[in-house]
Amino acid sequence: MTEDLQYVGRTYPVHDAAQKVTGELVYGSDIHLPGMLYAKLLLSPIPHGMVTNIDSSAAEALPGVVKVFSHLNTPADVYCRARLTPEQELCPADETLFSEHVRFVGDRVAAVVATTQAIAAAAVALIEVEYAELPALLTTEEAQRRDDLPIHPAGNVFFEHEEECGRRAQSADAVVVSSTTTTPRIHHAALEPHVCVVQPHSTGGLTVWSTSQGVYGARTVVADFLGLEYHRVRVIKAPMGGSFGGKTEFILEPVTAYMAQKTRRPVKLLLDREECMIATMCRPATASTIRTTCSPQGLLEDMEVATVLDAGAYASSTSDYAVHMCKKITKLYRLPHYHHRAQAVYTNTPVAGAMRGWGAPEIISALEIHMDRVAGELGMDPVDLRLRNLMHPFEVDPVTAMSIGDGRVRECLERGAAAFDWSARRGRDPGRGRYRRGVGVACGAHKNGMFGKFAEASNMTLKMNEDGTFELGASLHEVGCGIVTVMKVIIAEVLGVSPDLVAAGEADTSSTPFDYGTFGSRVTYVVGACAKATAEKLKEEIVTAAADLLHEPRERLTVEGGEVHVQDDGQRGVAFKDIARLSHMRHSPAITASVTYYATSNPASYSVQFAEVEVDCATGLVAVTDFLAVGDVGQAINRGMVHAQFQGAVQMGIGYALYEHMDVDEAGRSGIDGFKNYHVVNAPDMPDIQVLLVEHSGDDGPFGAKSVGEIATVPTAAAVINAVNHALGTSLSDLPATPEKILAALHPEEVGG
Amino acid sequence: MRLLLNVNGMEHELDVRPTARLIDVLRLQLGLTGVKEGCSEGECGACTVIVDDKAVNSCLVLAAQARGKKVLTVEGLAGDDGLDLLQRMFIEHGAVQCGYCTPGMLMSAKALLIVDPHPTEEAIRLALAGNLCRCTGYTTIVAAVRAASEQPAESPSAPPAGEGSAA
Amino acid sequence: MPNAELLTPGGIQELTAALQRATPSSRLLAGGTDLVRSMHHDHWEPDLLIDLSGVRELDFVRLEDGTLRVGALTTFAMLQADPLVRRHGRCLAEAAAQVGSAQIRNAATVGGNIANASPCADSVTALVALGGDVRTIDGAGRSATRPLARILVGAGRTSLAPDEAITEVSFAALGADQRTTFAKIGSRSTVTVARLSMALVIDYDADARTLSGARVALGAVGEAAFRDPRLEELLEGRPANNESARLFAAGCTDAVRRAIPGRYSLPYKQHAAVGLAYNAWNALGLCDRCEPVWG
Repeated sequence: MTEDLQYVGRTYPVHDAAQKVTGELVYGSDIHLPGMLYAKLLLSPIPHGMVTNIDSSAAEALPGVVKVFSHLNTPADVYCRARLTPEQELCPADETLFSEHVRFVGDRVAAVVATTQAIAAAAVALIEVEYAELPALLTTEEAQRRDDLPIHPAGNVFFEHEEECGRRAQSADAVVVSSTTTTPRIHHAALEPHVCVVQPHSTGGLTVWSTSQGVYGARTVVADFLGLEYHRVRVIKAPMGGSFGGKTEFILEPVTAYMAQKTRRPVKLLLDREECMIATMCRPATASTIRTTCSPQGLLEDMEVATVLDAGAYASSTSDYAVHMCKKITKLYRLPHYHHRAQAVYTNTPVAGAMRGWGAPEIISALEIHMDRVAGELGMDPVDLRLRNLMHPFEVDPVTAMSIGDGRVRECLERGAAAFDWSARRGRDPGRGRYRRGVGVACGAHKNGMFGKFAEASNMTLKMNEDGTFELGASLHEVGCGIVTVMKVIIAEVLGVSPDLVAAGEADTSSTPFDYGTFGSRVTYVVGACAKATAEKLKEEIVTAAADLLHEPRERLTVEGGEVHVQDDGQRGVAFKDIARLSHMRHSPAITASVTYYATSNPASYSVQFAEVEVDCATGLVAVTDFLAVGDVGQAINRGMVHAQFQGAVQMGIGYALYEHMDVDEAGRSGIDGFKNYHVVNAPDMPDIQVLLVEHSGDDGPFGAKSVGEIATVPTAAAVINAVNHALGTSLSDLPATPEKILAALHPEEVGG
Repeated sequence: MRLLLNVNGMEHELDVRPTARLIDVLRLQLGLTGVKEGCSEGECGACTVIVDDKAVNSCLVLAAQARGKKVLTVEGLAGDDGLDLLQRMFIEHGAVQCGYCTPGMLMSAKALLIVDPHPTEEAIRLALAGNLCRCTGYTTIVAAVRAASEQPAESPSAPPAGEGSAA
Repeated sequence: MPNAELLTPGGIQELTAALQRATPSSRLLAGGTDLVRSMHHDHWEPDLLIDLSGVRELDFVRLEDGTLRVGALTTFAMLQADPLVRRHGRCLAEAAAQVGSAQIRNAATVGGNIANASPCADSVTALVALGGDVRTIDGAGRSATRPLARILVGAGRTSLAPDEAITEVSFAALGADQRTTFAKIGSRSTVTVARLSMALVIDYDADARTLSGARVALGAVGEAAFRDPRLEELLEGRPANNESARLFAAGCTDAVRRAIPGRYSLPYKQHAAVGLAYNAWNALGLCDRCEPVWG
């Protein structure tokens, strides 16, 4: 932990908590503008085919319907929904506003814009569409085999990435272990559905209220698509009810903007839950086969990994995702030789894209389930095996050629194992009764921002108002994890004033300086560092103004408690709130500092998690009875929120391990259309999560802080699966471990399929 | 059709479609957007309101069925003297992150405390079983409800303890 | 889209008048937890919507001459807590307690649950074991009573005429010598549709410690909940001991196999039936808690 901190490290509610508990906060889905129209989509009911006819006459005749859109009356230009900046790579442009060639159940075929949501929905039901069906490729295996049926011109295996480092060398008595883990397509399940509101202006521009995680990216995609100059497109980050990556990509913005522009009216496109599940994006389903060679004493020698990622019908961000799946393992374990090949494959299924962890939960689930398999083969305790191979602080990740920084995964594992009473619990025989308990452990790694990929930077402006309060100008994208509060606390710490004196809002391309947005675990580490640097620069400006007022050189001045004092002279000083009043003839009333901060490192964040489960072998139901999450977070900025983020992240990981999946049937339909059949863990099933933080502040994030939100969910599922396998003596590796799969594993001789 | 509704202590005379859902009347006609729609099928609980002291999913109730009953939404919790105890505890205990589930959670918790002013943790979790949260993992929410239940009733809207338990 | 006409009868007389106007496209609205969702999701409205919530004569629980009578508008929250139901038909109270969430239980009614005729309806399983009779009223004001099994004709289908409304369901109140319970296996512990459900009513001779007169209803493994005579015979005269529990569990597996042969869910359900059986058995409290044993 860093030196004496006054504000950093304490616990704060989110900055707008009072507005949330009163229902006052206007979320994107609550926005209402005068003259606003409502849009409703018509989605493809077939997984693959061509639209051969659209008859919207009945829909258009319905009173209140303003316009019906489809491929017949919209541009066929392709774009990539994941594009943040014009020059960005790995952005295959393969999506159109409306599809003539539909590629999955849920593909956009048409939209109605009407005066009420109910009329729009009724009109959609009146549109008659004819399709010529094409063969559908519903699994990656099928899609890989059938390159005679390309879903897009690029071919079905549209992206491959490979990482290799080290030299292959196998000792004579090496043990070889192989396993394959599959992870499912899952839904982010943010409580607020996806929404976008766009208002066109007679001056030729647009205002977009976006609940995305990057307004500048939304601007790029919308402006490029419509052929508008960037300064005419204003994108405002609207308050949102959760995202978890599901709103990172610009799914609704282009089509909503187009419809608003064409109707010359404000348009709101608000999806219902079923549409969110199938027609926005989901976490990609993956399959990873890992083949490890190690010494009989458990020293890893070689790891070969082959990953196939199901991108669904459009590429979205899955190319980048596939790359990142290859960059996690070597942050965690020392490997003399590592070779990872990843492929992204199109299928005629819902579009996959970013979800919390960006490939880390997918690959770490495979890795950590595999490591338990290795431990089993060697007769080693899972913690001991990991300790033998985990990275040490400041070692270099050979894949990125960057230091992992002050990475404390070993300490997390050791302290966690002690706190969880691992040895005793692991040593207990689960027995052969109806209820069997087991424990599992998993280690996870993730990054802190995008340094190493491109110029990872943020821009901020901080000003002191005439009364000594502060306002931050920054493109913040609050997704619910309290980042606005984090910035206030960091600024407060630097300036020595209460966070209550610091105001910070969210992003608006017309008034807040450029920032990429909230993703990639960059916010605390990079954006937070920018806030710190900006506050420090402002502090300098304040001191300069004070020096002038007090007629003292800067070196004799200190800042404390909202005042600038002369050292060793308690009588002489000037309060922040007086500086403007006293110096208005010589200084601007508002003192301002602007900073562009460039990240120069990208350390790893780590979490080690321990799960205890109790399996009912008669029904296959699993209860998570105890859970400990240990986080190597550098320094907690908002301590209570860091704990709460781990608790929420574990809820997501337990769901990933046991309940959540969106499979498609032979007709390409999900069969999952709401929370009735898509179970996210509810309050009775959620254990109390114990959280232990390891804080060494050894990296150059603000006050040594590292990002938390994503790493917190990376190892969860593997810890739960490993616990289940310990309880049952099974080798489950096909997530989720549903009751069916558990009973099938317990009764292999009786179950056919 | 004409409908008289009592919402948050105020009478409203409204013109509604016969099959209008209570959630739509509250959000769109009365502007009470604190009532959130998360799933439209009574699974997520974001739309929870209290009707005659009982928590219900407003997305599954017709507005017409609320005729003659007292409807309480999150906007009706705070009084002239400030936030309701539950609301304050939610803030203090970090039970609010993205906040979208918060109104529904508050209403379910409020309804619980009406019949069970000192619930066990199990009773709290059961009462919130129909309110999904994807941010918090529920721990801080349960702690907030616990904290509200351990304090003496001070809000004027808190009735005397009823019989029975919600569990 | 034409609007439904909403009728809100204030009592039985007005209800029959409303029912007179009902067509096959009309619908009765009780708690609304099924109907309102369906209307919104599928964008349809009935021609006539008869809101029963004003017919307060349908909201009651009464014990009369050894018969427990439950009004159609009784919500699951009420059933769960009602002292008469808990004493004389406890499996129904237990089933009610496991329907959905608190919000659903506050609105959903037993009449609506029967009329919706889901194969997984929890209260229906309990009522089948209790031998429920359903009383209805029609547009001509005529009352009729028939066994629940004759009302349920298929998944989501009843034999109710368009102008027929359920007014109450009744069953012989259970006596002191009868044990009863409801058990359910879902895909998680709470707020889940049943994948298997069971309601059991059994006569227990405390002196001889033997069982007889078993009524076992199984739900979620057929078009509607049903009683399994073979399973019931299996328990006839048996002692209340672990061996009986084991036989009962095996019998449940067999019953599930007979109910859904070839169904995709059979491999799971036949095994989970063992858990269901033991859960029910243990809840009856006939002997020390026992669990399945695998070799």
